[in-house]
Amino acid sequence: MSQEIEDLVKKITPCKELLRKWILEDEEAREIRRRYANWEFIKNQPPKVRLALTYLIESGDLYKAAKIADLTIDELNELRIKAKIPNIT
Amino acid sequence: MIGVIDACFIIDWSRYRHRDLIKGLFDILYIHEEILAQLRSEISISFTSRLLAEGKLRLYPWTQSDEDEFLLLRSEIIANPRIPSLERPDLLCLIIARRANAILLSENIGIHRVIEFHPRYRNVKVWTALETLEHLVYRGLITLSSEEEFMRFVREYEQDTNHIFRKRRIETCLKRLRTWLRR
Repeated sequence: MSQEIEDLVKKITPCKELLRKWILEDEEAREIRRRYANWEFIKNQPPKVRLALTYLIESGDLYKAAKIADLTIDELNELRIKAKIPNIT
Repeated sequence: MIGVIDACFIIDWSRYRHRDLIKGLFDILYIHEEILAQLRSEISISFTSRLLAEGKLRLYPWTQSDEDEFLLLRSEIIANPRIPSLERPDLLCLIIARRANAILLSENIGIHRVIEFHPRYRNVKVWTALETLEHLVYRGLITLSSEEEFMRFVREYEQDTNHIFRKRRIETCLKRLRTWLRR
């Protein structure tokens, strides 16, 4: 990494309060997704999809979950809705 | 008003029973071709292609200068493990919104976090469906006389898309609406 980029990265580091706020938000959202998810539906999916949906519940990251399932995010979103995993914002 | 649509937003908004309301809110909506490539379901392709055919939605003319900014932004974000990772399509939309001085429509938490701390992107306005609904009210595209009526629109969106808006965000939004309703 060039010095210029390293300097930029230092400048854009989020403050500790923001990081704490994000951790709390993530925990709250994870709990809600776990509670609402249809685990029976998830358990009955092929391995890639099952892992992707489980990852989605834990992280809320639709893009990475789609990559795990080898799907586009639109396709994964359809499965998210069937699996009753809420999108939380 | 100009808007930029990201994939997370359009795939959910396409399912919303009042999805056409968005056409009255923006003069132009931009989309990146890499976002279009993410669309697979009939409902989102049908809505998006209709917006394109009507001239409301346009493909953003991505340039080398935009690409250079993408490389810089990616380096700034990826190199820092404390920043939530973001995929290329997310960042493209953020760059377009900044360049076009547009509202970014996104449900992506990572994007909302970037604008909370990044000096170059702090002024970019990012709306989720909740703020979009709120602005539909301000623009007179949703007529209502009470908070309860607004909440009906919010609940319908939540039902249609299996979405949950955080209580705190809804309360903040209702506070602004209350002031607006009293005017």
